[in-house]
Amino acid sequence: MMRRKGWEMEYRDVLKNKHRIVVKIGTSSLSYPNGRMNFQSIERLAYVLSAIRGNGTQVMLVTSGAIGVGAGRLGLTEKPRELDKKQALAAVGQAELMKIYQKFFEEYNQTVAQVLLTKDVVTIHSRNQNAKRTLIKLLDMNIIPIINENDTIATNEIEFGDNDTLSAIVATLVDADLLVILSDIDGLYSADPRTETSAEIIHSVLEITPELEQLATGAGSSFSTGGMVTKISAAKICLKDGIDCLITSGSDPAIIFDILQGKEVGTHFVAQNENLINHA
Amino acid sequence: MKKQTIIVRIEISTLISSEGKINRRKMDRLAMVLTNLHNSGKHVMVVSSGAIVLGTEKLKLQTMPDNQLEMQAAAAVGQAELIRWYQHSFDEYNQIIAQVLLTSDIMHYPQRVKNTRNTFNRLLDMSIIPIINENDSVSTADIEIDDNYPLALMVAEIAQADFIVIKMEMDNKYLIVLRGDRPALLVDGETELQEKLESFCQVMIPDDNMEMGQFPASIGEIIF
Repeated sequence: MMRRKGWEMEYRDVLKNKHRIVVKIGTSSLSYPNGRMNFQSIERLAYVLSAIRGNGTQVMLVTSGAIGVGAGRLGLTEKPRELDKKQALAAVGQAELMKIYQKFFEEYNQTVAQVLLTKDVVTIHSRNQNAKRTLIKLLDMNIIPIINENDTIATNEIEFGDNDTLSAIVATLVDADLLVILSDIDGLYSADPRTETSAEIIHSVLEITPELEQLATGAGSSFSTGGMVTKISAAKICLKDGIDCLITSGSDPAIIFDILQGKEVGTHFVAQNENLINHA
Repeated sequence: MKKQTIIVRIEISTLISSEGKINRRKMDRLAMVLTNLHNSGKHVMVVSSGAIVLGTEKLKLQTMPDNQLEMQAAAAVGQAELIRWYQHSFDEYNQIIAQVLLTSDIMHYPQRVKNTRNTFNRLLDMSIIPIINENDSVSTADIEIDDNYPLALMVAEIAQADFIVIKMEMDNKYLIVLRGDRPALLVDGETELQEKLESFCQVMIPDDNMEMGQFPASIGEIIF
């Protein structure tokens, strides 16, 4: 049997050959803690995704942040609690957010499209097919679709866990081969890294066991705004469909280059693959 | 007294040149008129088409897409462009806008209708003008390129609007459509539009319990 390290590196090799990836970026990677937009980060994201697209890999971006941007636009300092107010801010912020993405992607000559989905893409078959066909058509036209939840008409989806679940649903919908979730933590740890000095990042996960889920809900549960729980459940959705999932920090989006070069960053949820299993 | 709610229906053909490019002057004018209407104390909502046309232009497609899939892709690209144009234009007048994308099937779900109505009300209370379009990129219904009147009707129903104003192709001409069997009114210029809306508001009973009738179900049914 190979050494553990060797295994992990081998799993990383599969990431070198991805053709259709979904990148999910959380609010924490798009804005500063004071709620203001981090343009440098968004600029960098546009550069990285355009470069990857230019290299022939199909890319989709699932973005959060509409409510925060809307609050900023209206000069509100506190995030609203009422659903209708959140929805109103999302309607303002989504338009603003798209404007910013368009601006930065244009710098790299990359056309983007806006696709707003509701959770019923999962349950309503016809809508499911339509969303899928539109997304794939956009990818075939060398366009990067920028996807968010259609918060305005949603009922409670707005509490949907910072779009982690949505990103996994999108990945399965378009038969992506990799989902990258960028947030404010660099991966799943064996314990809470803020309190446990022995805490180590887990680089590869082959199976989501109850113990692993316990890690996410337990000590380290407050690592991130979206929470580790929704990220693990996104990974679960991916693994079920044979899609690799990688959770890492979005502080510098160029980390996506490292991921696609098979470097050992973040936590890799390894999709079951016949060849790989037999080989191991 | 309840503020009057006015749905303004815009067809992109009234705002673009023959090459499919946005006419900035017309766009600017529209933003001014609508902001002014809003400033005069009305609730203003805009129903605007144009995503597919602008997407086609952006993607440099030679002809308008003829199949649904291409239209949906063009709509996803063009909607982002469209809303950006509205933002630019309204920014000049310091007016904040919001984007709301609807699918027609929400009418079958009372909870969604209620939610959308709440969102509209909240936006209007916050002095924001919602710019509404169909969520074409995921819609399962046939895409209607030219006629967004049905969408305007749906929005009027959700928001319980008092008037639908249609921007006409001819410069500065607007058609005011009323509920019930009352004839629509073609007005020339923004001043007249404002005056007529004011006088209609006064004729109409301010209580919302009064039976006002329905809006004409299609453009063809509008009485002049």
